[in-house]
Amino acid sequence: MISARGVRKSFGAATVLDGIDLDVHGGEVVSILGSSGSGKSTLIRCMNGLEKLDGGRITIDDFDVSRQKELTEARKRSATVFQLFNLYPHMTAVQNVALAPVEVLKTPRKQAEAEARALLDSVGLSARADAFPSQLSGGQRQRVGICRALAMKPRYLLLDEITSALDPEMTADVLGILAKLAREGTTMVFVTHEIEFARTISSRIVFLDKGQLVVDLPTAEFFAADGGLAMPRIAQFLSKMRKD
Amino acid sequence: MGCCLAFDLTILTPHIPFLLKGAVLTAEACVLALAGSLCIGMIVAALVTSASPVLSRIAYVYVDIFRSIPFIVQLFFFFYGLPEIGIYVGAFTTGVIALSIAGGAFTSDVIRSGILSIDVGILEAAEVSGLSKPVIFRKIVMPIVLRTSVRPLGSVFINLILTSSILSTITLNELTGSAKIVASDTFRPFEIYVILLVAYASLTYLVSLGIGALHRYLNRDLMTAGVA
Repeated sequence: MISARGVRKSFGAATVLDGIDLDVHGGEVVSILGSSGSGKSTLIRCMNGLEKLDGGRITIDDFDVSRQKELTEARKRSATVFQLFNLYPHMTAVQNVALAPVEVLKTPRKQAEAEARALLDSVGLSARADAFPSQLSGGQRQRVGICRALAMKPRYLLLDEITSALDPEMTADVLGILAKLAREGTTMVFVTHEIEFARTISSRIVFLDKGQLVVDLPTAEFFAADGGLAMPRIAQFLSKMRKD
Repeated sequence: MGCCLAFDLTILTPHIPFLLKGAVLTAEACVLALAGSLCIGMIVAALVTSASPVLSRIAYVYVDIFRSIPFIVQLFFFFYGLPEIGIYVGAFTTGVIALSIAGGAFTSDVIRSGILSIDVGILEAAEVSGLSKPVIFRKIVMPIVLRTSVRPLGSVFINLILTSSILSTITLNELTGSAKIVASDTFRPFEIYVILLVAYASLTYLVSLGIGALHRYLNRDLMTAGVA
């Protein structure tokens, strides 16, 4: 379980997260919605230890991410996919995917590369397995990014606006893969602007506004007229996002 | 023939083995110094960009000192100065060490700017995947730096080869040193220094060809895409 309690984070005078409480259990897909600057990405960056908390506590399977020793364990259990892919430019797709299994999990290289190829194959990239990131389209890069995360066999997948840099066609490719992962029961924390997609794959929707968690509801309830939609802030957000 | 002797390279034939010996010594010193400055450069660049303010300050001081003193002065200090306080290691070793230390300062500066130009997101991705700092440095930071900085590093190394001629001032008969001896033995400075010009130019040209090839190999993905 990923558990956040009273999480606070400021950058200078700006409070970005203002006391967030959130639990994500195994098998759940939790989508985090909110307008830009609401703190969604910062919350993910706090979960994977890229940002230090100013207050509160985040644990992943009871390992506290604020403690250096426990962070290593927490990171073994979670994997992150980034908005801008962040692939290693000097390595081929296979090498990108196999690096951490070899170095962190100590998987023998041959086995790690075979597993990497199988993963790339599962996202339709078997023909591009030996290409460098610069030779791939944005959608292909993000699929490699997802494989790189999955290669660590994480219990929790943290997805930080992973389709924001992609055109609609590539977005559809990547979301198709997420839908498959969701069906297979992968636990995901999904920061996104893809409202309709979030609605189809999420078990719960969390809405952040100005660093505060406004609602945390099962998906159906969130979109129900007497549920989340009854709250003016959420209705306004959803209608604006749908217009865009 | 008037005032001038005819240009006659055959007169140097008997001295070729001696000159070749000098050339081999130059090559040896350069290869060792190149490896030395690369090692020092990587370590110092890692320190400069490290999170520790103390280590970073120490590394900066080293770079600043050795970039602000003429190489010949550093060399004289190591070879003629240090023995006065009991430190003497021989001309060749002194030369290689001095070249490595001076070259390391310039190398570290190139590597430092290469490190700073790496997209932070790439390092964050490596960090969250659980890779340790040393692994990130070896497998991700340095290969990316090499890719982007192989040409400026090449300039530093070519400079190192040219600077190695100064080792002739500490009794080391490398290429330049041997040429000086042959010139004074034969009284044919024109021919011998023409040879020396050509030898250094060829040597550095070969190295720059190698650097170019390495650059193209390391960036082969961009070459096919037609970006670089």
